[in-house]
Amino acid sequence: MNEERKKVLEMLQEGKINAEEADMLLNALSRNKESDTDNTQKTGAPKYLRLTVEPGPESEKQDRVNIRVPLKLIRAGLKLASFIPKDAQTKVNEALHEKGIDADFSKLKPEDLEEILSQINDLTVDVEGKETVRFFCE
Amino acid sequence: MIPLTAKIIVKNKNKTVFWLWLPFFLIWIIILPLLAVIAPIIFITALLLLKSGRGKMIASAYFTVFALIGSLSGLKLDIESKENIIYINLI
Repeated sequence: MNEERKKVLEMLQEGKINAEEADMLLNALSRNKESDTDNTQKTGAPKYLRLTVEPGPESEKQDRVNIRVPLKLIRAGLKLASFIPKDAQTKVNEALHEKGIDADFSKLKPEDLEEILSQINDLTVDVEGKETVRFFCE
Repeated sequence: MIPLTAKIIVKNKNKTVFWLWLPFFLIWIIILPLLAVIAPIIFITALLLLKSGRGKMIASAYFTVFALIGSLSGLKLDIESKENIIYINLI
């Protein structure tokens, strides 16, 4: 018997709550337990990062993209990226800057990636009705 | 797990279909023993360069290459436009 159920029964014994109220509390506790179990099953460690692009009603190109990348590959890629010489990394950052991306990927550590992935459940971006971009882990 | 096969399909606007099935497991039979043969050379080089600080980096890079190859399985790219279709799946 867990602590919460024990406490409810103690409250009933002490007369602080009646049998009906105790029944309601016990039911609520069992419901919480079931939903916790469901969430644990659903949030099992994701294996893949998915990116899907679906054309919207106003899209002219009608391009569809469906990319599935194993998370292991991203982690290994990040590790390998740390072996790139600093001169080359500077050139990569400059090229990204020219494209309007101000990001220094050499500073991205595996721990940061884990944090980002843990926060991505299902990110959907709608680009002005032209395309729907979905970014999620599975 | 290392990818054992790769399926590549390219379809263009002329409806020409390029279909390719690559038996990676045959390539691994050649590459994996080669990597195993290279391993002692890598470790000796790493030990020699340990003082300069590059030794650890060389050994780590070697293991990371293994990790990278091993994690390729499951990679899937499916890009479809009005005229072209590109499909790559590593199994």
